[in-house]
Parts: sequence; C-alpha cells; structure tokens
Amino acid sequence: MVQYSRKLDTAFGALSDPTRRGILERLGRSDAGITELAQAFDITLTGIKKHVHILESAGLVTTEKVGRVRQCRLGPRRLDDETAWIETYRRLLEGRLNRLGEFLERTKEKQ
Amino acid sequence: MTTITEQEPMVKATITTPSDREIRVERIFNAPRDRVWQAMTDPKLVAQWWGRGNKLVVERLEVERGGHWRFVEHAPEGVNGFEGRFREVTPPSRVVQTFEWDGMPGYVIVETATLEDLGDGRTRLVNTSLFHTTEERDGFLQSGMEGGMNESYAALDRLLAKLA
Repeated sequence: MVQYSRKLDTAFGALSDPTRRGILERLGRSDAGITELAQAFDITLTGIKKHVHILESAGLVTTEKVGRVRQCRLGPRRLDDETAWIETYRRLLEGRLNRLGEFLERTKEKQ
Repeated sequence: MTTITEQEPMVKATITTPSDREIRVERIFNAPRDRVWQAMTDPKLVAQWWGRGNKLVVERLEVERGGHWRFVEHAPEGVNGFEGRFREVTPPSRVVQTFEWDGMPGYVIVETATLEDLGDGRTRLVNTSLFHTTEERDGFLQSGMEGGMNESYAALDRLLAKLA
C-alpha cells in the first residue's frame, strides 16, 4: 500500500508537466522512438530523454532498445485510471486538512 | 505562554468512503469557526498553508456563488494548477465548490465543506468530495440546457400568443 501510494506521488509529479502529458497523449495513438518524440515536441534529445525517464519511473511509459532506436510505449500504469486519481486526490485532501490544522495552531498566538 | 507539548494533541482526520465515488473527511480544528473560515477564504492566508510547503500562487479566489478559484503550486518536480467554481457560499458555515486538477482535466470533484462551531473554541469540519467523470458532467450540462431551452420556447410561445 505504501509502495502503491509512493508510485502515485511519482505519477502525480510526472503528470504535472504539459510536455509529459503530451508525450502520453502521443504514445496513446502509437508507439514512437525517442528521436521521433524529440522532433514532435521540438525539444533536444537530452530533454526528451529526461521526460521519458520521469514517465518511465512512474510506470507510465516503458522503453525498449530495438536495434539502435529506443522505442517508447505506454506503460502498465494508466493515469486515466480513475481509481488512481481518486486515491491521489484522497491523499491531497488529507494532507491539505492536516496543513490547515498546523496553520491554525501556528497562528494561534497572533489572534 | 503555551508550548506545543502542553497543547492537546490535534485530533486526527476521520476518513470514510460512503461509496466508490465519494470521500468523507471529518476533522476537528483547535480554532474558532470564524478563524477556520478566514483561513479557507482569505487569499493571503490560503497561500500560507495550501501549497504542501511549496510556493503557492493564488491567482483567483472569488468566494461567492459562481466565483472562480485557481491556485498554482510550484513544486520542485513541476507546476500544478488547481481550479474550480463556487456553487454555494454561506459564511462561516458552508461552502460547495468544484475542484479540478490540470493534470486530469474533465474529472470534476464537487467538494462540500461544512463548519460546525463546537462552542468550546473548536470547530468540526466535514468535507464530502463527490467524483464526476466528463461524461456525467456533460450529461448534466445537456439536461440543464434542455430545461433552459424548454423554458425559452415556453416564453416564446407566450410572446407569440400575445402578438397574435
């Protein structure tokens, strides 16, 4: 469960970037090589590799070396997986209320 | 002067899931209701706690029926935008608002928060979050529009009858 939640956090971070969301959308249509993605998003190979690596760590993308080309496709984890989003949201909400409580304690003396 | 250790331990949140689309959180805050309300609705105060320790930009916070809110959190791993609209605002006891994260567009959560004055300087917050998918939301919009259109047609009928 802890592992599961940590993965969700990673996925949450991975999805906070518009380029990475774009990559997922692109891979949703068909698999693509690193070079192809770099061209599609008009960024450097190094830049796209970094994004793909973050998506891969989150389980959203898997890559495989085919000959000289690194091929990318959607990973085992799908973030249109609503259950995953509900779980992430639950954790956000819980954290939010804890921080509100801490804030109220912290600012108590000032009242 | 009290120190943290002398204070009562903070009451932990109770989380239940009445259905697979609903999350209910109940929590008691060691602060009067007006202060809790203020912390939730004053942009300057919201910026101090909402952002998970990250920088938070409160772009909009129009606490009124139909008002828009939008917060942008600058986390080390990226920027997260959150937004929604207020559906009901009854200070200092009840607020209903929608919640959407930029990363999951179309997944609208309706949050209903009620604040109860416990009379001893503490406040009970009950927050219910209801999940809607894009399809459901579009369904609502459609039915709402149909209702509106029927009303418009009825008004047109009356007008035409008068003109006849």
